[in-house]
Amino acid sequence: MNEALHQALNTSGATPHEEAPSEASGWQHGWTAPAAALPEIACAFREAGYILELLTCQDRREDLQKMRLVYGFNAWTELDRHLIHADVEPGDPACSISHVYKAADWNEREVYDMYGVTFAGHPDLKRILLPDDADFHALLKDFGRMEDAEGGDA
Amino acid sequence: MNPAEYESVGLDEDRETYYLNMGPQHPSMHGVLRLVLKMRGEEILEAEPVIGYAHRAHEKMAENRNYMMFLPNTSRVDYLCGMIYNLGYCQAIEKVMGVEVPERTEYIRTIANELNRVASHLLWFGTFLLDLGGITPFLHSFEDRERILQILDRITGSRLTYSYGRLGSVTMDVDERFLRETTEFVAHMRSQIGEYWKLVGGNVIFRNRCEGIGFIDQEMAVEYGVTGPSLRATGVAYDVRRAEPYGIYDRFDFEIPTRTTGDCFARFEVRIDEIEQSLRIIEQAVAQIPEGPIAPKKVPKRWKVPAGESYFAVESGRGHFGIYIQSDGSDRPQKIKLRTPSFSNLSCMPDVLRNTPVADTIAIVGSIDVVMPEIDR
Repeated sequence: MNEALHQALNTSGATPHEEAPSEASGWQHGWTAPAAALPEIACAFREAGYILELLTCQDRREDLQKMRLVYGFNAWTELDRHLIHADVEPGDPACSISHVYKAADWNEREVYDMYGVTFAGHPDLKRILLPDDADFHALLKDFGRMEDAEGGDA
Repeated sequence: MNPAEYESVGLDEDRETYYLNMGPQHPSMHGVLRLVLKMRGEEILEAEPVIGYAHRAHEKMAENRNYMMFLPNTSRVDYLCGMIYNLGYCQAIEKVMGVEVPERTEYIRTIANELNRVASHLLWFGTFLLDLGGITPFLHSFEDRERILQILDRITGSRLTYSYGRLGSVTMDVDERFLRETTEFVAHMRSQIGEYWKLVGGNVIFRNRCEGIGFIDQEMAVEYGVTGPSLRATGVAYDVRRAEPYGIYDRFDFEIPTRTTGDCFARFEVRIDEIEQSLRIIEQAVAQIPEGPIAPKKVPKRWKVPAGESYFAVESGRGHFGIYIQSDGSDRPQKIKLRTPSFSNLSCMPDVLRNTPVADTIAIVGSIDVVMPEIDR
């Protein structure tokens, strides 16, 4: 574990998960961070030579009343995968990290497209997979449930 | 775009610049990729890939069914690496559920994975050359690829969208004929690779077309998360099979081919070298495959993933394919995110295509081996 990186994560306000990720989960480290600290955290990972492997979201409005952003960073040289949770209130913008990792550009667009979470500071936040004129965000839990469709339970 | 909109999108006053739509239906776009090119004369000023035409909502489907029912979807995400995606998904679930996989199954999976990788590279090889105007290599590579499809067809029952994996197992055991045909294919393919180098790798027209264009450097690769042959062509020896060995890849002797130039030709060289390395793995696996059962003694009836989040990666033909699963402990996923390699690989195109002639676009986009259904999911 990279000491400087650990330090930077701690100062940015990220706290390690209470339970260390299990061996089988594929993660080496789990963190929870305030959404506003993400650019700073991303910078720390970028300086340490990590890549942004995963950027996605969970619709947790049912149990946490939050939208949970999920970031995954990993190094190519040795396996050191970090999982970072950042919760935002539904409707509130998150902070874009597309100026740190260009990979975040498309991924943030996808999160916006699928979950409706906006990213402050994103250069061109528009839909990416769904049509531009779509009036829904497809991966929200209250959209397109199989139970609502004909045939009942899947 | 309407001509009336031109002004609003920043075209110059001198009216020398214009927009060109390449795709979504374009013979060299390998599916439904659309590139909006802002051009001056023959030169591309800005390029913007527009994706989503083949979006099939696989991630949404995952949330609406249980883990087992999602299995056939996985091979349809990337139809050229269906085996790798399908078995990768099984391995991800096995890992979190702690299911033991019998030795024989591991070997069968490795052989199937590598055959699939060779088939994928062969298809890329043929179509890439076709894009550049060379029809003959296409005929050769498709003939070789056909042999793989027939070998896999016999054991899986399908040619492209294999649903071969089962929890801790595969649907069908392999027989002597499969092993014999595979061995024959390896020998045949070896001699073909020499032909490929002679026919294409040393062809001066091809080299002039590919060398020195479409540069991706290591810095850009880190920025965009470029993986697979496109990354290895920049000199980074990152391969998931080495970096975090899954299955039994740690038992085989193989190299990770790299180049340092990072241009289109380097990507070509890396892929052809990878075919050779895949053949080496297949050869070793065929020689070592043990007898025994293919299914574990105890197979859970329901695929119930323990609550929590997991991430599992495999090396597909195009790079790092990651499966992120968020589970609440039931037999249905709360969320499955498929981190597909071409999505990241394609996202660097605006930087790569800037200030290149439009004719090179075909070679550059072709050389990163995009598979649109995998990007759009």
